[in-house]
Amino acid sequence: MENSRAIHLLRWFCPPHLLEEIEGDLLQKFEKDVENFGDRRARRRLVWNTVRYFRPGIVLRNDFDVSLNSMYMFRNYFKVASRVMVRNKSFSLINIFGLTLGLSGALLLFLWIVNEFSYDRFHADKERIYTVWNRDVHQGQIECSNHTPRVLSPTLRTEFAAVEAVASFAAWEKPYLLTHNENKLMNKDGVFVDADFLSILSFPLLKGDAASALSEPSSIVLTETLAKKLFGDKEALGEEITLKADGYTIPFTITGILHDLPANTDFRFEYLLPWRFIELNFGEDTFWGNNSVITLVKLKAGVDSEQFAVQIKDLKKKNRQEETAELFLHPITKNRLYSKFENGVQSGGRIEIIRMLGILGVCLILIACINYVNLSTARAQKRSKEVGIRKVNGAHRPSIILQFLCESVLIAILAGIVSLGIVYIALPAFGTLVQQPLGFAVADLNFWIGIAFVILFIGILAGGYPAFYLSAFNPVRILKGAPITSSGRNVLRQVLVVFQFGFAITLIVSVIVVHKQIGYVQNRDAGYAKDGLIYQPLSGDLLANYQAYKNELLSSGASLSVTKSGSPITEVWSGTTEIRWRGKDPNTKIAIERFDVDGDIVATAGLTLLEGRDISLTEYPSDSTAVLLNETAMKAMSFTEPIGEIIVDDGVEYHVVGVVKDFVLTSPYQKIAPMVLQGPAPGRNLFEIVHIKLNPNLRVQDNLKLIASLNSKYNPDFPFEYEFVDLEYKRKFADLETTLTITGIFSSMAICIACLGLLGLSTFMIESRVKEIGIRKVLGASVTGITRLLCWHSIRPISLAVLIFSPVAWWAMNWWLQSFDYRIEMSFGYIVLSALALILLAIVTVVGQTIHAAGRNPVNSLRSE
Amino acid sequence: MIKEYLGEFEELVLTLVAALQEDAYGAAIAEEIESRLKREVNFSAVHVTLYRLEDKGLIKSSFGGATKERGGRRKRIYTITSAGMAMLKAMKETRVELWKMVPQLKIS
Repeated sequence: MENSRAIHLLRWFCPPHLLEEIEGDLLQKFEKDVENFGDRRARRRLVWNTVRYFRPGIVLRNDFDVSLNSMYMFRNYFKVASRVMVRNKSFSLINIFGLTLGLSGALLLFLWIVNEFSYDRFHADKERIYTVWNRDVHQGQIECSNHTPRVLSPTLRTEFAAVEAVASFAAWEKPYLLTHNENKLMNKDGVFVDADFLSILSFPLLKGDAASALSEPSSIVLTETLAKKLFGDKEALGEEITLKADGYTIPFTITGILHDLPANTDFRFEYLLPWRFIELNFGEDTFWGNNSVITLVKLKAGVDSEQFAVQIKDLKKKNRQEETAELFLHPITKNRLYSKFENGVQSGGRIEIIRMLGILGVCLILIACINYVNLSTARAQKRSKEVGIRKVNGAHRPSIILQFLCESVLIAILAGIVSLGIVYIALPAFGTLVQQPLGFAVADLNFWIGIAFVILFIGILAGGYPAFYLSAFNPVRILKGAPITSSGRNVLRQVLVVFQFGFAITLIVSVIVVHKQIGYVQNRDAGYAKDGLIYQPLSGDLLANYQAYKNELLSSGASLSVTKSGSPITEVWSGTTEIRWRGKDPNTKIAIERFDVDGDIVATAGLTLLEGRDISLTEYPSDSTAVLLNETAMKAMSFTEPIGEIIVDDGVEYHVVGVVKDFVLTSPYQKIAPMVLQGPAPGRNLFEIVHIKLNPNLRVQDNLKLIASLNSKYNPDFPFEYEFVDLEYKRKFADLETTLTITGIFSSMAICIACLGLLGLSTFMIESRVKEIGIRKVLGASVTGITRLLCWHSIRPISLAVLIFSPVAWWAMNWWLQSFDYRIEMSFGYIVLSALALILLAIVTVVGQTIHAAGRNPVNSLRSE
Repeated sequence: MIKEYLGEFEELVLTLVAALQEDAYGAAIAEEIESRLKREVNFSAVHVTLYRLEDKGLIKSSFGGATKERGGRRKRIYTITSAGMAMLKAMKETRVELWKMVPQLKIS
């Protein structure tokens, strides 16, 4: 019983002066229990009884005293550590540099992740604010979307007691001309909201009253920056500005100035307009089938959101018979990271990327720590005498462990300081890359405490194993001069190297695959001619003067073809599931994209006609109800002879006049959706954009100058603003290119760290095999032979890493590719290419010193023994 | 003197220390509680209470002789001090006085 583990535990925490008594009582009880319950149960009871002594009433009776002695020892440890570091400059440098790289990378990622998590969390009462989403079945698929009918907001306000405030949020990106005296400004970042909006989300007003700012139909709220642009340093509050669009000119009074929006919100706008204005001028939109706005709800405090969700679930169906969509609530705090729904269930979203980044950061630190572990254990022999002497002089194992931990923590601190500097310098550039202003919370004490803990943790993580390993040496054996036999350690080192390079190869494969995927999609045939095509908003007087403007564009020779449309050819602004055609199964719901066009769209955009003809109002007056289908739409509607078929949309009967080859309107990564290119039906006035095909025979500048002068003639109030379609199209790749850059940066970091470790290990290996090399040479080995032998030793774990981690990389990248409809196939070639690159890199790393070692004169290495 | 108050369990342990006299040590007290009051007690609770009473000066302790059944460990024998005795008595008296105030059930 003496050695019972329970009693050992007790000795560890029980104050010595109480120990004897308690032990005695426990043992007495135990012996009694043995008689009553038998050995096993008695033992269990003993353990349980003992554990329960671990309570403040007992533990706090210990004497806690801090002896100054340990401070002296600490100072000694750091002194020795710094000496060791200075003596082994190359190893210290490799360690510090590797840790610095790993830590910098991880810190950058960490700051990014923290920023991602801060999105829309600054709103007061954020846990009571929700957006309302739809859940609907499309072609057997449950799909979710956050656009809801306008009428939802007033309905929630009047019919539900649980609602504290509710607002529609409509960002239609329509360009308005804002005018104050002589200052004019085109701006499309205006949003229509209900008066409650400013009391739901915490966007504080600099001037004005949040509760009443948007209650008048002619009020407008500007952000600070926009107000400055229009008014300079003058007082803007209470001033009047006019908004111009589509032939309207309406005065608004400024009733509030907002602080500029923080960067960490997904709500973007520069001015707010009241819904009351729309309703007063255009009537109330009470149609439950028009999903056009985002609805924000703030519930009253104490309301159970789930109960409320049940109440509103069938609201749409109740108000519109043919409606099938359910409504549900999505918390605003999850808006950014958790807004992907699969089959109606929340399934990740941006958080998946964030998780990957987190893993990447941790792995960077891990492989840097592996370097430290490997180099320290490899060089154990060198420190063994020191450990022996310390032990002989009475050092306990814990104090030696502490000593080595001090060393690793010291290195971690140095690396931490350097990497803080690097991060501080690199952060603005990195912030630009990820398109978020990232910052250091320099004044935040918690940040520094956090950093201190991380550095301490890394020091312990890196130094923990070496410390235990080194402190276990038997002083007698060591001081007698026995070598450290460590085949087991060798295996561990190899395993760690395999992990390092496995991580590296995964990253290299991902860089290659991302690169290939971008190239592949960039080379995808867009289906239309992007070159020399520009578009401009159809604003102001241009709407009325369009025909004259178009005629003069053509007659002046600036343009070959002009057409107006409902959206730019790089975007889709309208879609529906309500289109009917002959033979449509009434139960299917197919989402069809709408592209409202005028005549000559085929000619202007350079589409390819497969059947039929272009829409032409001059030749065929009935073409106002003509429609072109894209190939996918033709198949979706299962027309074999499409020309002359009738499709019905929004009460208008369109006749099909042609079929065009599929072309990319939205995302070049995705499948092309069925699309109808509808003619300008009477009553539908949806034109927003003019597309102009420039005349290639003239210089672009001259063309644009000509067009600008025509603009000032036909639309004098509005500045001439235009976009090149090919540049817009390129912007679709910006996200993925950012991904590529980021993967590139962090892969290089990882590879750099891994190669540093390899360099250190091979240096050490050569150092310890100098005599062996000498003997081999004396016995006739050639330089190439020895080089091959030594290189192979270094390369072997890397080949193993390639073998083990290639499937991982394959799987991961295959998963990534699945998110694109239009994608490359994962190929064996990418893996081979990455493996070759990595092995080549490794050989380059080690071959220099290997050849040098192999070429040395054996006399020098064998002379002294 | 400001009167110290005793918790219920403290009072119980103090009473047992007084009652068990030379045999008052942790395990014995715990056993008494278990057998007489049919109440599960944990050793650590008894010990913590004993130390607290000792801190308050209500009991004092000394080591007894070693016996074989305890693996050679000595017992710590607790004895009640006069302060402890006074406290116990005072508590008992207040109890009795209060009890007298309770209207008794009368059979009429």
